[in-house]
Amino acid sequence: MRLGLVIDLDVCVGCHACAVSCKEWNASGSIGPLADYQPYGAEPSGVWFNRIRHFEMGEYPHNKTINFPMSCMHCEDADCVTVCPTGASYKRAEDGVVLIDQDKCMGCNYCSWACPYGARELDRATGTMKKCTLCIDRIYDENLPVEERQPACVLTCPAHARMFGDFDDPDSAVSRTVRERGGYALMPELNYNPTNRYLPPRRKPEVSVAPRPRGGLKDSLRQFANRLVRR
Amino acid sequence: MNASIRTENHDAQEIRYTTCYMCACRCGVKVTLEGGKVRFLQGNRNHPTNQGVLCAKGSAGIMKQYSPARLTQPLLRKPGSERGEGIYEPISWDQALDLLTNRLQEIRATDPSKLAFFTGRDQMQALTGLWAQQFGTPNWAAHGGFCSVNMAAAGLYTVGFSFWEFGAPDWDYAKYFIMWGVAEDHSSNPIKIGLEKLKRRGGKFVSVNPVRTGYSAIADEWLPIRPGMDGLLAMSMVHVLLRHEQFDYEFLVRYTNATWLVVQTPGQRGDGLFLRDADGHPLIWDLEKESFRNGLAGDIAPALFGEYLTADGRRVRTVMSLVAERYLDPRYAPENVAREVGLPAATIERIALEMAHIAFQESIELPIAWTDVWGRKHDKVVGRPVAMYAMRGISAHSNGFHACRAVHFIQMLLGALDAPGNFRARAPYPKPIPPHQLPENSIAVINAPNTPLSRPPLGFPTRPEDLVVDEFGNPLRIDKAYSWEVPIASHGLMHMVITNAVNHDPYAIDTLILFMSNMAWNSTMNTAQVQDMLRTRDIENFGEYRIPFLVVVDAFHSEMTNFADLILPDTTYLERYDAISLLDRPISEPDAAADAIRYPLIEPDRDVRPWQEVLVELAARLKFPAFTHADGTRRFKNYPDFIVNYERSPGVGFLAGWRGKDGSRSLKGEPNPRQWEKYIENESFFAHHWPDSQKYMRYANRDYLEVAADAGFVGKVEPIIMQFWSEPLQKFRLAGMGLYDGPQPTNQVDRERLVKYFDPLPLWYEPLEQQRVDPDEYPFFALTQRPMFMYHSWDSQNAWLRQLMAQNRLYMNAGRAAEMGIRDDDWVWVESHHGGIRCQVKTMEGTQEDTVWTWNAIGKQKGAWGLKPDASEATDGFLLNHLISELLPAQPGERRLTNSDPVTGQAAWFDLRVKIRKAAPGETGSWPQFDTLKPYPGDERYARPDVLRYDARSDAKNRGNGQTS
Amino acid sequence: MHPVLSVIFFTVASGAGFGLFSLLFVADFFALGGGFSRAHLLVGGAIALALIVLGLLSSTLHLANPKNAWRAFSRFRTSWLSREGVFAVAFMPLALAYLACIAFDAPLWLRHASGFLSAALAWITVFSTGMIYACLKTIRQWNTPLVPANYLALGYASGSLLLLLGAVRAGLDATPYVALAGLIVAIAAVLKAIYYFWIRSPGLTPTVNTATGLTRAGVRLFDSGHTHGTFLTEEFGYQLARRRASVIKVLLFVVGFALPAVMLAAVLRGSGAEAAAAVAACAGLAGAVMERWLFFAEARHVVNLYHGAQRC
Ligand SMILES: Nc1nc2c(c(=O)[nH]1)N[C@H]1C(S)=C(S)[C@@H](COP(=O)(O)OP(=O)(O)OC[C@H]3O[C@@H](n4cnc5c(=O)[nH]c(N)nc54)[C@H](O)[C@@H]3O)O[C@H]1N2
Ligand SMILES: Nc1nc2c(c(=O)[nH]1)N[C@H]1C(S)=C(S)[C@@H](COP(=O)(O)OP(=O)(O)OC[C@H]3O[C@@H](n4cnc5c(=O)[nH]c(N)nc54)[C@H](O)[C@@H]3O)O[C@H]1N2
Ligand code: SF4
Ligand code: SF4
Ligand code: SF4
Ligand code: SF4
Ligand code: SF4
Ligand SMILES: [Mo]
Repeated sequence: MRLGLVIDLDVCVGCHACAVSCKEWNASGSIGPLADYQPYGAEPSGVWFNRIRHFEMGEYPHNKTINFPMSCMHCEDADCVTVCPTGASYKRAEDGVVLIDQDKCMGCNYCSWACPYGARELDRATGTMKKCTLCIDRIYDENLPVEERQPACVLTCPAHARMFGDFDDPDSAVSRTVRERGGYALMPELNYNPTNRYLPPRRKPEVSVAPRPRGGLKDSLRQFANRLVRR
Repeated sequence: MNASIRTENHDAQEIRYTTCYMCACRCGVKVTLEGGKVRFLQGNRNHPTNQGVLCAKGSAGIMKQYSPARLTQPLLRKPGSERGEGIYEPISWDQALDLLTNRLQEIRATDPSKLAFFTGRDQMQALTGLWAQQFGTPNWAAHGGFCSVNMAAAGLYTVGFSFWEFGAPDWDYAKYFIMWGVAEDHSSNPIKIGLEKLKRRGGKFVSVNPVRTGYSAIADEWLPIRPGMDGLLAMSMVHVLLRHEQFDYEFLVRYTNATWLVVQTPGQRGDGLFLRDADGHPLIWDLEKESFRNGLAGDIAPALFGEYLTADGRRVRTVMSLVAERYLDPRYAPENVAREVGLPAATIERIALEMAHIAFQESIELPIAWTDVWGRKHDKVVGRPVAMYAMRGISAHSNGFHACRAVHFIQMLLGALDAPGNFRARAPYPKPIPPHQLPENSIAVINAPNTPLSRPPLGFPTRPEDLVVDEFGNPLRIDKAYSWEVPIASHGLMHMVITNAVNHDPYAIDTLILFMSNMAWNSTMNTAQVQDMLRTRDIENFGEYRIPFLVVVDAFHSEMTNFADLILPDTTYLERYDAISLLDRPISEPDAAADAIRYPLIEPDRDVRPWQEVLVELAARLKFPAFTHADGTRRFKNYPDFIVNYERSPGVGFLAGWRGKDGSRSLKGEPNPRQWEKYIENESFFAHHWPDSQKYMRYANRDYLEVAADAGFVGKVEPIIMQFWSEPLQKFRLAGMGLYDGPQPTNQVDRERLVKYFDPLPLWYEPLEQQRVDPDEYPFFALTQRPMFMYHSWDSQNAWLRQLMAQNRLYMNAGRAAEMGIRDDDWVWVESHHGGIRCQVKTMEGTQEDTVWTWNAIGKQKGAWGLKPDASEATDGFLLNHLISELLPAQPGERRLTNSDPVTGQAAWFDLRVKIRKAAPGETGSWPQFDTLKPYPGDERYARPDVLRYDARSDAKNRGNGQTS
Repeated sequence: MHPVLSVIFFTVASGAGFGLFSLLFVADFFALGGGFSRAHLLVGGAIALALIVLGLLSSTLHLANPKNAWRAFSRFRTSWLSREGVFAVAFMPLALAYLACIAFDAPLWLRHASGFLSAALAWITVFSTGMIYACLKTIRQWNTPLVPANYLALGYASGSLLLLLGAVRAGLDATPYVALAGLIVAIAAVLKAIYYFWIRSPGLTPTVNTATGLTRAGVRLFDSGHTHGTFLTEEFGYQLARRRASVIKVLLFVVGFALPAVMLAAVLRGSGAEAAAAVAACAGLAGAVMERWLFFAEARHVVNLYHGAQRC
């Protein structure tokens, strides 16, 4: 199995719902709490596993805004795991999920240096590195209703811009969507072989405006004729 | 395999269902509690509104529940301290209620109008409105007047339902969707769900908006319009549709007043009114019978175009003739509006024709049999799958009423209303046009002591007689709603209350109660001076404050509570009972009538009370007839008891589900003592799903209208005919012309405004403030947008959400900024005719070149919202509101006029024009700055830790949210 | 990258310590300039070890959770950080054995064997330190064999200058030491120059386009989704203006390489040799600190592409 996420940039409205739901779930989840610094002070900041950036493409008036959520890509060739000296970072053989053992981490930040995607954030309160767990404590929780055994961010996304599934299974919804929509990986040149895929904004649909039989051009009221229509 | 994974201890958890309160969308939430704390908030999959999803605000509800800004106890301004100084003493609830009761009793027994009760985005207007009516004061309204009354009024005077909460796009069938001026809307999650559906199906999404963020980001086509020009754009599209004869002839004939005949006697009484028969029915010209016939009847064959002569020799023309004549005028040709609108003529023409193509070449037919209100059976419904949605980008301009009507004109021409793929009505809408409810306007009733109003304070005037004015034409309401200045102010003018009350214009009040509105900050125009007004004393009146007594009901420490004489602390949404009623602003979806509840999930840890409880209590103490028995004893034990047992009319109460003694009736039925339990069992909501035959064309769908009439949604089963030509407007206009058989304004300014702005067909005019401001001096339009993850002011207290945005910027078009030598992070001075602010710039591509904008309500006063005084919201964030005046720039020989739409009184937030210059080196930080708010007694309960580690798990090492000590 | 003082101190001190120790063995083996006395060797060795230990200790200062530091040895097979730790720790007993051989007149083969092995481990350790950085594909400025080469060259350069100072103080013939230091400093300077030249040319590196996959048009960050700093911006957001970097580079070449070279000549001239050697050693170390600071400050992690950078 190779579990991961698909993010549809065509419909992501950049609402940050996934990011907040992630924070909410994981704050009280298996690697919570997640520290917040100066929560009511001058420069609030904190640990998040999912952040939404907003980019602009092209120039006015042909510009497009792209909302861009990012969390751990659960890379196949995850250097964050290779470089970790303590073995706290590991990739699960059975499903490819990359996790951090909070009991082993020494907080050296080295793995975060190795991650191109900014997925890892140090929790200064525990001194340990934290990151997206793919909601491992939801997806395998057999006491949750089946339809809720999904990452919090996927469940909550109001635009349904996020999908979760097994990329090893060619028939899974994620695999099919990636094939059909040309899903791509970020920074492929670094060869991390990330699992998560992004679906590009689609081309805009063409609507025909060819002249129709209905009417010719009317420049004045006089050109309109009454038709017999009963109520 | 996954033994190593630690999952939840579900045994320690409880699941509850309630309704979100983080915004007015009111989604269903599934709440997981653990050890009495909130573990998780997620969307309720079964809920019609959000279908399982939850937005950022909803998920962050935890941090609101545990916010250090929560009020802890009733507070009284310390005797001897100045209002606004923020020095308070705790008082008990008993004392607070006694104090208030005595004051209100006195007012009610003498001059009930001296109480003004205004509420913000109140989700219980049915109760607050009833309360005000029972008190006997006309001075009640909620936020609608400063929010989007233009949309409500335009829709309800035109198509019988409206944008905002009275309808929704049909996301399942729409193939083309145009969104006008929407950033987030009340329909927050449904729009996101819907846009995805639409795009997934290959539908086209066009966004008309000067700014490209959020929803507009994913639009297939972005039309960066110049602000305030939407009316012109829509009318130009009407022009294109007419020119190409792209309209739905059958729809116009059957469901609109396009065929009604309008009297053409310019300069005489009766001009512009419908030709009517002796019973008052509007008449059409029947092509078959060759005679005038009742335009409301079935079995007629009306002429759509034409000019006829009546027996008494009056010339009459069909509405459609007038429409075609008006909008075929070259004034509205795309090439003649392109420059003002800021879009290429070819684009305007193409978009109009694309809509026509989808409407007429790609119509949808569903094999659903239905019967029209005239008894004719149809074996299918036809949808013209063009949907639209519009909100404050249209409404928050002083020409927004007409602009919105023009958008409805496009829908009517395309026949694209309440059918598959259209903008569809949400029960209890559609309503008669306009709804049959008039505002109380009898002076005798209003002035009568200890007497309820005979009608609600708000309604929908149809003619000058319905205005709420005295015999001299002076306003009877403190906000001057329904006066000659703003005759169709159907939601009141909350933004004028403080200014008018302080100016004693039209009269002085005694007590102002504000419930959940931050009128001293982000929901007021002219913030700094409004704060001063609240402090103003009356020299004649023994130095009393101009507003003698100010009660603020809020759950949090806001900029507004700081001005209260009495602060009544409310509960949070997880701590109280609430009814989200069909009598109010509905949560229905097009396919289902729906309502919902909240009930207490968490025991308050402070001395707070739900405001609805307090209202019911006060109502009993003040002996309101609806709340007491004949012998004066109280009728309702408490709020839940009131909700179950109060009936507005027999069988119709606040909650529509599980009515009848045994809970078997829906929409209408006797009170059910177990109604709350039923709702709780059913995940806190009720949905009545419309059968297919009642889902569409409900303005003329007999089966639907029968149910609607029975449930009290409409008065009786009769066709709801959409109104191109608006006769109510024409009546006011005639009054302005001095040609009306009834009350007429005496003031020249009022007369001119009526003549100019009460055009029975939509017209475009330059927004009022802009008419008085030199565009060369103030070259930019200035706007605000809502961030998707912040609800006005109240989410900055949220430790998670404020990390996403703790400072707002002034956003500018990058190219335009570069021309001015302005770069990212520069501090600039922004000035309007009214004032100046300093703020920091961010440039972007996605902003129309003549427009600057910022996120709404991020700026804060130091010390408010439980934040430390150095919070960047206060030091670097800013409010645009300082630049916006609630009054139009003065003009000689004219009294000061409200900066509002002249028809509806809608606050014209977005008419602002500004100039921008770089701040001098070293001039940084936002300006103006205000005194730091003082902590309240009780605030010491809250720790404001440097590191917060929220964890709901009861077994967690790090127990406690680190907030309450 | 954010330059962290403890890491700068660690790499400079331990590099110099390992360099000094290895060269001390070379000097001992070849009895350069007449050879150090036993006492001098022991003092020199102790100084080298002290630099190493202090460096290692300071490196733990930047750990957020030092109580798990001991686990850092467990991923020898994959992690250069782990390897560095293991090699550094393996070095210690061998180095002590070598010093013990000197102190207690152990058989020469034993002394030479332990000396050689510890010198080799010292080399490997410094190499590993370099590889910690060089193996990161996320930072173009580091992801090059020039980095371990630089680490080795600079470590040995500062070691050689310290050794020279020792030789002068011990009254040995300074010539071979000057030659050794001169050679290594020259190599270090050339390598560093090559490195600086190399990082100037961007090459085929990730850009904001490949980072977002939006390749059809120009892409610019509009909003990073948080107002204030995050772990990511604090750790990776450091940005050094080109102008300032160039100034520091000139200074670094003057202080770190040119000044020691001049001082080496002064040592050869004889008068004030000790002072000249001391200045050379201090300048060399100062240069190394500057170099290390720049090494971090100039490194642009690709995550910056998500925070406004166009390329890294
Ligand atoms: N997250 C969140 N949701 C909210 C709220 C909130 O504070 N936060 N507030 C709720 C409330 S009270 C309301 S009233 C609704 C309002 O919801 P919206 O109607 O979406 O209100 P605004 O955010 O004011 O967005 C107005 C939009 O109109 C655009 N605009 C401005 N002028 C013009 C114009 O002349 N023409 C056109 N075409 N566009 C224009 C602006 O760029 C902006 O995108 O949202 C509700 N939902
Ligand atoms: N410049 C500019 N200004 C605007 C707008 C704009 O677009 N631009 N939009 C306008 C519009 S449409 C609106 S609706 C207004 C909104 O403005 P407001 O109605 O003032 O909205 P909030 O700032 O959210 O303030 C509502 C108050 O409700 C309180 N509150 C929250 N929860 C509870 C509760 O459970 N009980 C009680 N009793 N109180 C509670 C909050 O603490 C807060 O003080 O802003 C208006 N102001
Ligand atoms: S919740 Fe969905 S739409 Fe919102 S930012 Fe996340 S991915 Fe985008
Ligand atoms: S995204 Fe980063 S943290 Fe996640 S697996 Fe890839 S390299 Fe590791
Ligand atoms: S911070 Fe923790 S997880 Fe990351 S490399 Fe260091 S020890 Fe491993
Ligand atoms: S999968 Fe879970 S942990 Fe990962 S981003 Fe989504 S919600 Fe957060
Ligand atoms: S849209 Fe968000 S904040 Fe509003 S009610 Fe729904 S979940 Fe709550
Ligand atoms: Mo609003």
